[in-house]
Amino acid sequence: MMRTVSSGIVCLILYVALIIPFTTYLKNKPFVEKLGYVPSVTALKAVAADHKELVAASLVLKVLMYFGGLVEKADNQVAVPPDYISMSRLLHGAVKLDPYNMDAYYFAQGFLTWDVKQFKLANDLLDYGMKYRTWDWYLPFFAGFNSAYFMKDYAAAARYYQRAGELSGSDLSKLLAGRYMQESGQTELAIVYLSAMENGERNPALKKNYQLRLTAFRETRRIELACDRYRETRGVLPKTVEQLVIEGFLSPPPKDPYGGQFYLEADGKVVTTSKYAFKNVKNVK
Amino acid sequence: MTTIIRITLKGIFRDRVFQGIMVTAGAFLLIPVIASLSMRQVTELSLTLSLSLISFILLLLSVFLGGTSLWKDIERRYTFSVLGLPISRQSYMLGRFGGVALFVLLAAAVLGAAAFAVVTYSSALYPPDRPIVWSTMAICILFDAMKYILLIAVAFLFSTVSTSFFLPVFGTIATFLAGGVTQQVYEFVNSPASKALSPFVKLLATGLYYILPNFGAFDLKVNAIYGLPLPANGLFLSVAYFVVYVGLLLSVAAAIFARREMR
Repeated sequence: MMRTVSSGIVCLILYVALIIPFTTYLKNKPFVEKLGYVPSVTALKAVAADHKELVAASLVLKVLMYFGGLVEKADNQVAVPPDYISMSRLLHGAVKLDPYNMDAYYFAQGFLTWDVKQFKLANDLLDYGMKYRTWDWYLPFFAGFNSAYFMKDYAAAARYYQRAGELSGSDLSKLLAGRYMQESGQTELAIVYLSAMENGERNPALKKNYQLRLTAFRETRRIELACDRYRETRGVLPKTVEQLVIEGFLSPPPKDPYGGQFYLEADGKVVTTSKYAFKNVKNVK
Repeated sequence: MTTIIRITLKGIFRDRVFQGIMVTAGAFLLIPVIASLSMRQVTELSLTLSLSLISFILLLLSVFLGGTSLWKDIERRYTFSVLGLPISRQSYMLGRFGGVALFVLLAAAVLGAAAFAVVTYSSALYPPDRPIVWSTMAICILFDAMKYILLIAVAFLFSTVSTSFFLPVFGTIATFLAGGVTQQVYEFVNSPASKALSPFVKLLATGLYYILPNFGAFDLKVNAIYGLPLPANGLFLSVAYFVVYVGLLLSVAAAIFARREMR
């Protein structure tokens, strides 16, 4: 009896002595959500048995956690370029397991276009989703935006927006379908699109992403309007953004949330040195 | 036979299996929190998680209850005293099967009710784009239960030829995994992509496709999660397949059990 009690007490003392350094070690262990290696979708399909939707959802959540972690790091001025290739691979795997998973399409659309500039890939994925989610107006809405804004394929854009309009019954998409037939008002349309995305977003990391981009595009729009006013008054295009500020057409001076500088191209188009993305993202292959 | 069914059910409750399920079902409470991580489909995700949890619990139940029920009786020599009574071996075995199957149905009903509550809660917090089709969800859970009852019949068949619980338990798990992919393998074998395969492998795969249980037919999760319409004809065929296949398995199991030597 004595022996049992004493050995128990020794173990307890050791436990107390150990638990503090043990938990400190775990707490200080850097939190890195790695995307890691995911086996082929065919293998996953077989192993997932009747939990394909669950496996798909967990792949999407994995990507989301990873991305959320990076956004948090960027807040603390630690720039880690996201592994977009793995992110895309995981999301493509997710929709093969569950072709109805909206989160996957939505998230892929978020980064495949602005950040990675894989417009064709994004639209192929959306086309695949449209075969299944036949009721969903978001997918043609996204595809329409990609076609017009990035790929300048206005015929395709009009077709997608037509479909989005029919499915949603809302006038917004129909309006866009008409407007995308001509190559004007791109910035305003980007603002409409981003506002729609930002409004429905609950994930803080993604919402912040949209808000930043939206701010940048609102600034661009402000410069464009100032340019128009300048041309109406002076009869010529302004040479620089600073000219607009100095002569009182643009107040306060525009600020690019991505840290770039706005400037005017020879034809009066407003562009920014940041290209609407943070510096660390630019070099990602 | 009804007495055996009753005794089986009582035995399962006495083993505190139901309490075990209830503890595991505590995971339902976490589902709304996890589902809220979704960006665009909170309700769909909570449906996915609920249905997967139900399916997982039922799988454990059918493998372990189905795989150990007969073996335990023989191991503990209960069969000697029971079979001394005026009761045929076949009806004894069928009674045991009936008891376990009934318990799985009961568990599916209780877990289904919990899932309904969870999904109602999630959809109230984050209204879904598409209305939830409750009847499809109920049918999905019922078909899930049917799938696992079929699996219990497989476990009983293994039990009748085995002297330990290894074959019933691992054999049942293997059958479950194989039965889930037969449809995919069959489609692959009959697609142009399988040109390089030898005709023997193709023949073997096709043979297994017709022999092994096909669990793919009972998986209606996608329909329940996204509110897709259910094919009435397909449901009818699946029910008929279930009845015939379970009947076949139990007939073979009963024939083997009747001839089995028990020492």
